[in-house]
Amino acid sequence: MINIKTLTQTYKKKQILKNITLKIKTHLTILGANGSGKSTLAKAICGLIDYKGEIFLDTTNIKELSLIERAKSISYIPAKLEVYDPYISVEEFVLLGRFAHKENFLDYSQKDRDITKQTLEFLKISYLKEHTINSLSSGEQQLTLIAQALTQQSKIIIFDEPTANLDPRNSKIIAQHIKGLKEFHQIILITHDLHLAHYIENYIVFIKDKNAHYFEDNFFTDENLEKLYGVKFNSLAVVYD
Amino acid sequence: MIKNIIWFTLLSILLISPFMGAVTLTLSDILDSNSFSSTIFFELRIPRVLFAFFAGVILALSGLLFQTIFRNALMTPYTLGISSGAVLGAGIAIKLGLGTLVFGISAISIFGFMGAMFTVILLIYLSQFLKGSQQQALLLLGIALSLFYSSALMIIFYIGSPMQNDMLIRFTMGSLSVIGWEHPLSLGVISFILFGAIYIYRFELQLLNLSESQASLKGVDTKKITLVLLIISSFAIGTLVSISGPIGFIGLIVPHIVAKLYPVTVNKRIVKTAIFGGFFLVLCDTITRTLQTQSELPIGIVTAFIGAPFFIYLIISRR
Repeated sequence: MINIKTLTQTYKKKQILKNITLKIKTHLTILGANGSGKSTLAKAICGLIDYKGEIFLDTTNIKELSLIERAKSISYIPAKLEVYDPYISVEEFVLLGRFAHKENFLDYSQKDRDITKQTLEFLKISYLKEHTINSLSSGEQQLTLIAQALTQQSKIIIFDEPTANLDPRNSKIIAQHIKGLKEFHQIILITHDLHLAHYIENYIVFIKDKNAHYFEDNFFTDENLEKLYGVKFNSLAVVYD
Repeated sequence: MIKNIIWFTLLSILLISPFMGAVTLTLSDILDSNSFSSTIFFELRIPRVLFAFFAGVILALSGLLFQTIFRNALMTPYTLGISSGAVLGAGIAIKLGLGTLVFGISAISIFGFMGAMFTVILLIYLSQFLKGSQQQALLLLGIALSLFYSSALMIIFYIGSPMQNDMLIRFTMGSLSVIGWEHPLSLGVISFILFGAIYIYRFELQLLNLSESQASLKGVDTKKITLVLLIISSFAIGTLVSISGPIGFIGLIVPHIVAKLYPVTVNKRIVKTAIFGGFFLVLCDTITRTLQTQSELPIGIVTAFIGAPFFIYLIISRR
């Protein structure tokens, strides 16, 4: 469970989030307009940015967790995979998910390598293992990132706009994987993609005017969406299942 | 195949290098332990080759380290002004006439080390104000610092005596000329420490070479590891520069060549980069000693002549 208490985030003197208080007990989808602070919220949870307020993982303030402990509990999947290393292969990259689990200073164990192999097979991307990360398409990148998060074996997986760079076909593949992961992981999904949000069937938090609005159902009605986004809706078009 | 030829050539040069120079030695010369040749070989040539080798290791490893941490092929202690800081420190010690030993270590070394350290700490401090395209700006900061240090060095020249200035000029050109075993051995220990630190943190470095956020998300304490490795590296560079003067561009060229020969992720290139760096500087040094000039060419000039065009090539061909 993630318990967020009076979270406030300011960037360049502009307030992004104001006094957000939110208990994330189960799967959750976070929606909101551009610049509403969705990603900021996710990055605060992952410790990538500084913030005012408190975030608890179960009963521990996440600032008191070591980075290793945090990595074992939470993994974060960005919209885009940008790495400098031009030579690292998919297999080596996915293996890095095991960093928090391996012995300090020692090489990755055979178990780590086995987990990596199984994960690549599970996501049906074993054929990519020798490819370099920078040569992948956006869809392959997302699958590789999911693979890395899976080897990390964290309870919580945060997806930050997973379909932002994908065509409808790849969006569907990723959407199906995310839904499948709900069985073993707590999924926090941040997205603009209403079709994806609808398909994943999580509870929904909508961030508007720096505040979080919570919805258990009746979110995807045309009236509600129009009220929140300020544009007219005529039922969602694409169907993922 | 090409790789094997390159390694074999470099190893051969390492082995014949002690026999080459202003006086060419033969195997029979040096076996006579009372001969002048034997003294040259064991007290000048072998120490010098070892010194060049360890200097190459330190320069190449530091270059690889900086490029990995900052994720930029142009980052080296030399291009970031850390070597210049050491030169200025050593220059001040020369000007103040502090050639004498303090606790068994020469004042020039201590000042050189402090110059390098000061620069690294200043760069780390300033880098927290940088956002976005951080790396590029850090490089510019390094250049600004180098220019500042050069001006400060000019002032020392301006007020220095001719003898001090002669010493300073020779120092700033860089030289691998050493007498006896003290310097090669101490540099050997330091290069081993630097190698050990980098090797211990090889998986952290592999993650850092992806991106800062990737490393942090997988559990790497990026600030701590960056700080520890930069300080150890600056210690090595500071000590080296205070003995040899600045030797530029090795840290830029060697990691790049090794990466081209072995296009694999960074933790698999550490050992090869270290050894190649050592071999490469021995090669450069052998060139300076065998060119038939009035006296041997300063090593810093040779590496800069090779390195500066290479630097331009790297800037132009960057992805």
